[in-house]
Amino acid sequence: MTAKRANIAKTPYPMLVPAALLFGMFFAYPLLRGIGLSLTDWDGIGTARFVGLDNFLEFFGDRRALRDVSNTVLFALGSAPGLVLAGLALALLIDRPSRFFRAARTVIYLPAIASPLVMGYVWYFLLQPGRGLIARAGRSAFGPSFAFDWLSGDSSALVLLVAVNVWQYAGMTMVIFLAGLQAVPQEMYEAARLDGAGAWTCFRKITLPFLIPSMKVNVVTNIIGSLSVFDVVMGLTEGGPGYATETLSIYIMRKCFGSFTGYSTAVAVVLFLIILVPTAVYLRAVRSSEFER
Amino acid sequence: MKPPHQAAAARGFRFAATAAVCLLYALPFAVLLLLAVSGPAGPSLRLRNFAEAARASRMGRAVFNSALIAVCSVSLLVAAASMAAYVIARFPTRPVRIFFALLLGSMMIPGIVNTVPLYAMLVGLRGINTYWAMIVVCATNALPFAVFLYAGFVKAVPREIEEAATIDGCSPFAAFRRVVFPTLAPVTASVLILNGIGIWNNYGQAVFFLQARDMKTAPLAVSMFFQQYGARWNLVAAAAVIALAPAVLVFLACQASFVKGISAGAVKG
Repeated sequence: MTAKRANIAKTPYPMLVPAALLFGMFFAYPLLRGIGLSLTDWDGIGTARFVGLDNFLEFFGDRRALRDVSNTVLFALGSAPGLVLAGLALALLIDRPSRFFRAARTVIYLPAIASPLVMGYVWYFLLQPGRGLIARAGRSAFGPSFAFDWLSGDSSALVLLVAVNVWQYAGMTMVIFLAGLQAVPQEMYEAARLDGAGAWTCFRKITLPFLIPSMKVNVVTNIIGSLSVFDVVMGLTEGGPGYATETLSIYIMRKCFGSFTGYSTAVAVVLFLIILVPTAVYLRAVRSSEFER
Repeated sequence: MKPPHQAAAARGFRFAATAAVCLLYALPFAVLLLLAVSGPAGPSLRLRNFAEAARASRMGRAVFNSALIAVCSVSLLVAAASMAAYVIARFPTRPVRIFFALLLGSMMIPGIVNTVPLYAMLVGLRGINTYWAMIVVCATNALPFAVFLYAGFVKAVPREIEEAATIDGCSPFAAFRRVVFPTLAPVTASVLILNGIGIWNNYGQAVFFLQARDMKTAPLAVSMFFQQYGARWNLVAAAAVIALAPAVLVFLACQASFVKGISAGAVKG
């Protein structure tokens, strides 16, 4: 009891001040203020007028906004599972202690540290309809009828965006799975093999349970990252053709610069809820499955 | 036990598949490099593309801006996060625990959700087109994960080494600075590299807060150049190479601590 009191007495709260100031001023305060602004018609310069839920009603009555919701959700439905599965497959593929596989890890991780905007431009050069490298190479191989114009189709452009995003960040999920794989005791494999277990049984009964913590991190970060995607889209399609691949994050930026500041904070609130729901559901599901075991 | 020829086939498949994946990963970079030294008509070895692109895209200034912002942000980040993590790990009083929970919870909220209100606030504070605003915003974005990483490591540092210092009359801050902080060097290295590169590549906030021509960072400069010189792909590629090179070189030089930092967060997660 006395020891505990002594401990409380000398808690060096001043050491928390820099972090608390940064967090309070540049995260918590704007976040709360944003929720307030989402109920106003503020244009970024003049005075804000309280309009209640009008911004939200406008959002759900706006075709472009609803299309952006479906683009964002469809993108994430492809990208988040794609990243988790690709990362898992790559980790299992290259988890071998040799120089060759270590070099492969570096190469696969490389895009994850390169600017996604700039890599989006590089992929645009490759995938561009008509003039892109893939279209030109295809024409010289298969004749002039070869038209690679996926970027000009609405749904095919979204598919390409998912593919490029998975390419960009699979190295990240892979490295996290590789770290999880380090925790698996190799003796367990040997014992299981002596008992006659096949490769699939070993994977399901030994590897997968040890990967649960890294799976959790990867699922959560990729749900959040995919639903808030911005840079890759700006680099590759800028939301086009038309608004076919515009995501909510890009819509927020455009509305903000279009002097619809209050409205764009309302869109940000909607995006926050879209992210919160699957993340919370997943974390709850994982937690309850942990209690069962 | 597998028969030997089957094991050899599996090994061969693993090598072949890995080589194919590496090709898919290296190809865009190879194309970018080739393009960056090409002439307008096709492949050649035109190194003056880099000078020309750097001049036309004002990349020198952009690289300076990016470097300044990244260095200042990570310095602020390391100081704020390591001290906070020390208090969190060693003095888990109720308010401290609540603060830590808020920090962890904020990791669920991506930057874009907060960017517009932040933009509105910075307009009021005259922070748009200033270094300080971008520096504190980038440091704040990276703060929760850095505190999380540091806190995990401080818990692993034995209490005895700083208790000795405290008995000798050191304040908790002095004990932290002289005894604990040096033992956190591996985390500091990963925080510096991980976030330094992340801030170097930042586009989502930079596009809001840095609009003046002289304040553009490397990704913004490439983006503007792409919009103006879109047809001259070799010059755009040269500018892109200049913008990517620092991050790629730092990553290749410090890979070990990079991977360590990411995995430390993952395994504990």
